[in-house]
Amino acid sequence: MLFNSLTFVVFFAVVLAGYWTLRSWEARKNLLLAASYLFYGTWNPPFALLLFATTALDFWLGARIAAAGTARSRKAWLVASLASNLSMLGFFKYGNFLLENTRWLLGLAGVNYQPPHLDLFLPIGISFYTFHSLSYTLDVYRGTTQPTRSLRDFVLAVSFFPQLVAGPIVRAADFLPQAAQPPKPDAGRFFWGLLLMTLGLFEKTVLADTMLANSAEKVFGHHGPLASLDAWTGVLAFSGQIFFDFAGYSTCAIGAALTLGFHLKDNFRFPYAAVGFSDFWRRWHISLSTFLRDYLYIPLGGNRAGALRAAINLMIVMFIGGLWHGAAWTFVVWGVIHGLCLVLERVLRAVFKDAKWTAHLGVQILLGLGTYAAVCLAWVFFRAPNFGAAMGLIMAMTGRLPVVGDAILPTRDILQVGLVTAGLLTAHWFLRDTSMEAVVARTPRWALTGVWTVMLFSIILTQGNGNAFIYFQF
Amino acid sequence: MHSSTSNSDLEFARVVPALPWRGVALTVALLTFAAVAAWEIRARTAGYAPSLNDTPDLWAEQRAAVQPDSIVLVGTSRLLFDTDLDVLEHAFGKRPVQLALAGSSPFPVLADLAADPSFHGTVIVDIVPAMFLAPAGSPPMEVSQKALRRRHEWNYAQKWSHRLGMLLEKHVAFLKQEDLALGQLLKQLPIPNRANAQIGPALPPYFYTVDRDRRARMFEQAAVVGSPLQQRVATGWLPLFTLPPPPSFIPADKFRAMMGQAIEQRFKDTTRQINALRTRGAKVVFVRLPVTGPLVHKEEAIVPLAAGWGRLVQENGVPAINFADYPDLRGFDCPEWSHLSAPDSVEFTKRLVPHLQQALSSPSTTAHVAPPAAQPASS
Repeated sequence: MLFNSLTFVVFFAVVLAGYWTLRSWEARKNLLLAASYLFYGTWNPPFALLLFATTALDFWLGARIAAAGTARSRKAWLVASLASNLSMLGFFKYGNFLLENTRWLLGLAGVNYQPPHLDLFLPIGISFYTFHSLSYTLDVYRGTTQPTRSLRDFVLAVSFFPQLVAGPIVRAADFLPQAAQPPKPDAGRFFWGLLLMTLGLFEKTVLADTMLANSAEKVFGHHGPLASLDAWTGVLAFSGQIFFDFAGYSTCAIGAALTLGFHLKDNFRFPYAAVGFSDFWRRWHISLSTFLRDYLYIPLGGNRAGALRAAINLMIVMFIGGLWHGAAWTFVVWGVIHGLCLVLERVLRAVFKDAKWTAHLGVQILLGLGTYAAVCLAWVFFRAPNFGAAMGLIMAMTGRLPVVGDAILPTRDILQVGLVTAGLLTAHWFLRDTSMEAVVARTPRWALTGVWTVMLFSIILTQGNGNAFIYFQF
Repeated sequence: MHSSTSNSDLEFARVVPALPWRGVALTVALLTFAAVAAWEIRARTAGYAPSLNDTPDLWAEQRAAVQPDSIVLVGTSRLLFDTDLDVLEHAFGKRPVQLALAGSSPFPVLADLAADPSFHGTVIVDIVPAMFLAPAGSPPMEVSQKALRRRHEWNYAQKWSHRLGMLLEKHVAFLKQEDLALGQLLKQLPIPNRANAQIGPALPPYFYTVDRDRRARMFEQAAVVGSPLQQRVATGWLPLFTLPPPPSFIPADKFRAMMGQAIEQRFKDTTRQINALRTRGAKVVFVRLPVTGPLVHKEEAIVPLAAGWGRLVQENGVPAINFADYPDLRGFDCPEWSHLSAPDSVEFTKRLVPHLQQALSSPSTTAHVAPPAAQPASS
């Protein structure tokens, strides 16, 4: 079920009431487990079985890794975990993509191969829960966490409903210690959680869905040439939409978990105020970037084997990061663009490492805007349905179309996108070195009350159109 | 958002700002309640009353209610407004299922029924040629396809949200997704567009209620000729029934050729779907419902009656009832040119029933009750 649905409002109220009424910690965890599977099963009940099978297998493999007597057998059990998780992900998410590319490759060799189209439903959130589960066997293998004896706790760690389908990617090692002891009731934590949920829903329903989605959909769905203003508006709209959509989900997840006494780490830290791409990835989808860093980039050698090897490692990581988002080459190109920008940034940092003028505020702002512009250009490939559409948009944005482009957006949409984008960039810039908690702590009570009320009332005014979150499809 | 570790038992714990949270939360709850109450009063003062939203969920619920031998109404908003389910139920002994959709092409719904192997009932299809023949990707097709998607992908969470939503909509007047949702309110801001902007015409304002069976009734104010609402709705149809200019990225003659091919394909596909239905024993009846005022000529300009309605009837050999051919059906006046008022819809349905009974009693493959050469509406 969606956070922005009436079903979730009732579900969450019942779960909260039951959870804080029950006295036994074991009973509370059982309730959360049942609620999490109900939350997931309302989409497609059979896929709940798949979720359980994946989790149970990793629980067992985690124990085997820990109990293995030799390094070789430890590695073998880990490979089994990787193979089972990634093959499941590969089958459901990349099956048709692989077949289609095989057909294309064989076609180049002159072989006419017509693969069957696999009529598969993608289990919702499979990319996220696969990583939740996989983090456990990886951490047990690395020796950074001990295997849990409780299958129930591990199943809950993977399926905990606030973060189950669209992150943050919560590692079992971060969750399992919290399942050991019951949290004490705390009114402040509870209401702060509710405020975060309100903020997340406001980001999703008001800013992403109501203010921005329409412009993005029109521009990316247009089949002809676009006027430069419309192309830029659509791309800016999408850059805001995907942030508010995904950060909104993460904020809701963090808030919902807090009301239940669980602490999830940040997934976003004002990313559009990033100066450079390495800064961007310290602020955007942090749980994915740290996952890829810890389990892929560092095992590949990280930057320990020289600049060239580090650059290759970065490209590999961003290639896979792109592919993680979806089974299409446009996602791969998005990842590769980010990889190239990260490599370029390393080169520039090495060249200008002693240049003091780079620390000047004006230069920092320009670099920040440049980073944002480059991120927006990369979003074109992320969102466009194909390369032709992406290149058409890029040409329209850069004024290189050979014909006059169509003006398809109402002035109101352009103003909405402009206002929201300006507000977004300003807010991120002023908050880039602080935290939401610090800002709220120093905000006058009347102002906080007013802002919270306006957000809540605006959410009610949107009347819940129930649009799915963008990251569900990943 | 930034967080930091604290000195709790956990390795990581989020910081909670130190505030008098109970007081803040209580004040927020009271202020929000007051704002919602004020908004509700304003909506009721403006003439809105609690009623259901005609959502894809409500449609999906009706589609799920279709039985193998149901009488199913498939069409545009005209069928939705102009036919009374109580009258039809009384006449045919079973309550028809209302699947007509405002602003839609009925073709995808017809095709969906044709693809349902269990269905062998009766389909009454409202034909507005410009809507029925609308090309793939056009808004009328998307309306039907969106509803069908909801039907085929309807999950438990969506079903429960729909039921909860209906509980609220029955008691809260401002829950009007087509008129009072935040996005719709923003669209009402009077901001002029660029001179060269290719902006599609806006839909008319909200002007009907719908019940659980999706029986639509026009607002009384909309039926009062000369009232502001009637004027806004009526004039709203004119740009919607005007062909948009061809797209800039395709030569006009090529575009016309593509459209011509798509329309020919739609004729062929329609015949295929109707044959599939009739092979299973289903009956299909075409109806053309009242239209008046300038819309008659607007529709004729887009798709001439003979080329659209006439050809569909002829090629498919189904019983067909064109309101303009029958004196007892053509005397109705549509207050906003396109739909009947609520009282007129009851009377119209009573008069339509004998024609439907006659049409359905004929062998569906041969009974073509419409005159050989259909004539344009006389109103």
